[in-house]
Amino acid sequence: MKIRAYLSLFRIQTIADLQYRLAALAGATTSIFWALIEITIFTVFYTYSDRTDAGLQAGLSLRQVVSYVWLGQLLYLMLPIAVDSEIQAKIESGDVSLELVRPINLYTHWFTKIAARRITPLCWRGLTVIIAGLCMPQAYRFGPPASLEGFLWTLMAIFSALFLATAFGCLLCAIRLSIDWGNGPIYMLVLIGQVFSGSYLPLQLWPQTWQRWLFLQPFAGYLDIPCRLYVGSMPEQAAAVILLQWFWIAVFVILGKLLMAKQLARIIVQGG
Amino acid sequence: MELITLSNICKTFKVSQRPQGRFAALRGAFLRQTKTIQALDNVSFSINQGELVGYIGPNGAGKSTTVKIMSGILTPDSGICRILNRVPWQERVKHVANIGVVFGQRSQLWWDVPVKDSFDLLKDIYNIPLPEYSKRLQELTETMQIGSLLSTPVRQLSLGQRMRCEIAASLLHNPQILFLDEPTIGLDAVSKLALREFLKTENKKKGITMILTTHDMADIEALCSKVLVIGHGKILFDGELSELKQLYAPFRCLKARVSQHIEPFPVPEAEQVSFHGDTLSVVFDPGKVPAHALIEYLSHHIELNDLVIEEQNIEAMVAHMYKELSL
Repeated sequence: MKIRAYLSLFRIQTIADLQYRLAALAGATTSIFWALIEITIFTVFYTYSDRTDAGLQAGLSLRQVVSYVWLGQLLYLMLPIAVDSEIQAKIESGDVSLELVRPINLYTHWFTKIAARRITPLCWRGLTVIIAGLCMPQAYRFGPPASLEGFLWTLMAIFSALFLATAFGCLLCAIRLSIDWGNGPIYMLVLIGQVFSGSYLPLQLWPQTWQRWLFLQPFAGYLDIPCRLYVGSMPEQAAAVILLQWFWIAVFVILGKLLMAKQLARIIVQGG
Repeated sequence: MELITLSNICKTFKVSQRPQGRFAALRGAFLRQTKTIQALDNVSFSINQGELVGYIGPNGAGKSTTVKIMSGILTPDSGICRILNRVPWQERVKHVANIGVVFGQRSQLWWDVPVKDSFDLLKDIYNIPLPEYSKRLQELTETMQIGSLLSTPVRQLSLGQRMRCEIAASLLHNPQILFLDEPTIGLDAVSKLALREFLKTENKKKGITMILTTHDMADIEALCSKVLVIGHGKILFDGELSELKQLYAPFRCLKARVSQHIEPFPVPEAEQVSFHGDTLSVVFDPGKVPAHALIEYLSHHIELNDLVIEEQNIEAMVAHMYKELSL
């Protein structure tokens, strides 16, 4: 019953992470502040730019952008912004050897831990952000979903996004397993992931000619796809979109597993 | 029955080197030089079921590397290693289910949660049936006296308390082999004695095979029947502790308290004669000069109030051995 071991791991990681409530609330302030700045900037562009209809032509109204920003702030907490700090510490200190003396697969072991650590920020910090968004004055308020059906699809897409973020996090760990490589490649990958997730600028507002490609690339599944489903600006079939997310999850998992197996064969744990 | 067999295990590491000389740091940024270090050089030994083996050697000799190979963490460059009829690194998951590992400098407990939660997690990871787990936990809590610590978060335990919990954690699943990498590092005298006692009884009662690496020779003396000495990646000695002593510590030290102050004087056949306050120490080889002859000689020259003959200190013996083997 390996499942039990992984559930237990997931549980203990969640318990460990949920202890730091104050830090989570402090983090929430950053997220709220950031959301307000973004909304202000979008409002300025939508109201005073030379072509105030540009956003609408792209299929995204100001009201939709505001909700996109709030939901985006929530999902941003789930994105891997570096190698999981705990696993990184284990790799650097050599404690990874203790992970290797457990009779379970290292990839699944880390997948479970990372998944737990992707979810826990959503609890204290994420909940605070959403409540703050709902309490804002009209122009800044986190609006309701476009439709009930859209909302259900959004939940499913968020669920898939969790797996996508975790699979990507595992891939980063597999890369980081070779301590000689340092953090350089990781920072590049993470930055690419953040930009193309739509967390800085909704992907719909990018140039028209790029839209097809932007939609198909893996990182849209992190944030842009769930947000679009929520605000109702997704032109594609919702089911196809979720399938696309799972395609990329499979790709990341396979890459991560292959790389990890390769790295483990020549792993070196020095000192003590 | 041979439980562990290693033959001709080799392992090399590459270590980057910064070039020497002017602008070295700058050149080093573009040109990488590496040096290959032979961590293990044809290491062979075998260990039988139920043995308690001390594995000693100076820092950097390859002790931990060997332990990591035996626990399936590292893959050696060449050589054969079979433990419980498996090759550790090829069947890692199956292999590690039967071993327990304690790294004195690392913690396997979850820092932020109570000890009991870590134990429960291990129960699930090792798939230990509940009745067996409860029984084992009860047993370990009693002998290690950790009952009152189980609900404390690990971050709030003292080192000694934590180490007791670590050992308990590594034995929950009743492993057949236990690797202990410097388990007594940083422990106080009482904790050390308790830990040694515990390891001894576990070894006797359950027949767990134990391999202990340590720099504390008292650990070795108290626990181990068999000793392996490694240096520069090579096994230099494999045998009984008494044989090792015979080889490297043949001397005895006679300590005598004298009543009057006297100047140092030569003692025939003695290796070394010295005074500390009112104590005279004579290091001698019983093979060359028997103790009774030495005492007779001394009592002719000085008034002996009190007298002991000690074995040479094992720490000193090991230091002497490392020096002799130029490690």
